[in-house]
Amino acid sequence: METILNYLGYFFVSIGAVFLVLGAFGILRMPDFYTRIQAGTKSSTLGAMSFIFGVGLLEPAWFIKTLVIVVFIAISNPISSHALARGAYKSHHQPYLKDGVDAYKEVENQKEVKL
Amino acid sequence: MRKLIIAALLIVVAYVLIDAFAEFQFGAERQGIKDYFLEHTPTDLQVANSVTAIIVSYRGFDTLGEVTVLFLAATGISTILYRRRSKHTGLNPLRKSPEASLIVKAAVKLLFPMILILGAYVFVHGHLTPGGGFQGGAIIATGFLLLLISYRQFKVEHSVVMWVESLAGIFFVTIGIFGIIYGPNANFLENFLPVGNLNELMSGGVIGLVYVAVGFKVAAELTGVLDTLVNIRETGDNKETKE
Repeated sequence: METILNYLGYFFVSIGAVFLVLGAFGILRMPDFYTRIQAGTKSSTLGAMSFIFGVGLLEPAWFIKTLVIVVFIAISNPISSHALARGAYKSHHQPYLKDGVDAYKEVENQKEVKL
Repeated sequence: MRKLIIAALLIVVAYVLIDAFAEFQFGAERQGIKDYFLEHTPTDLQVANSVTAIIVSYRGFDTLGEVTVLFLAATGISTILYRRRSKHTGLNPLRKSPEASLIVKAAVKLLFPMILILGAYVFVHGHLTPGGGFQGGAIIATGFLLLLISYRQFKVEHSVVMWVESLAGIFFVTIGIFGIIYGPNANFLENFLPVGNLNELMSGGVIGLVYVAVGFKVAAELTGVLDTLVNIRETGDNKETKE
């Protein structure tokens, strides 16, 4: 039982490490703020969650605490980057538009027409 | 050229630092005070966190001074910024930034109690785990900051903040005076409660009580400071004063 838990723990920890590294590459490679923040958030949310979950499996005494932390990250991390990205857009930070389509602006314009 | 200058400067700084620290032995025994605390905090006070034991028990008077410094800083900020508060309902009328989105508002409702619990956990377990009253209070204040930036109509009641802060301060000093009355050596802030067993929540004598007081005090002070900072009028626009 313990060895199975250990293997599962190492599995989750390595998945987390891989996703965190991929997120770092994403932040380096992406062209502008919005794409960088989505690369950073997606990978670091999954990466940190699975990393901490794996630690919880390796140390069963900490399992409940790590579950609480995982839930906290699952709520707070996407929300914070959503708020950052929305704040950047509202303060007129121009996104990098390869094809010139700004879907968010279109939605906002439709709203204004309705009102 | 500029990069070359910067690199040369960095090399000079690195040389000076390495030269200065070359003879400095890290972790070397100097005054014997480290070993004294490491030996005596688990046996005398039954406290696992030696840092907490030093801050609250051996140097409790110093901590009272630190709390006073924090109080003075908060009072100073409020005094300086009070005149620049907006008149209407405490809300900032010149704040043109759009309101926080529905997602943030919904998440804050979920996260705020969790942050409060984390802060309380940190200051209640100050003598067992890393952390303590100051850290826990700061965590609670971040919870209130979250409410302040996501709900524009949220207002901190300054009378409540003032009462919590004053009561916490009085509680701290009262514990100190109880030390004079009931303590074995009759010193201010001396431990007068049973110390209990190592690594139990109810241990360490007065340390836990002092840290609860400090936690409430720091949380109230920082929340008041944040509320004052959020509600000031933005500079460079003197419309309100001209009226």
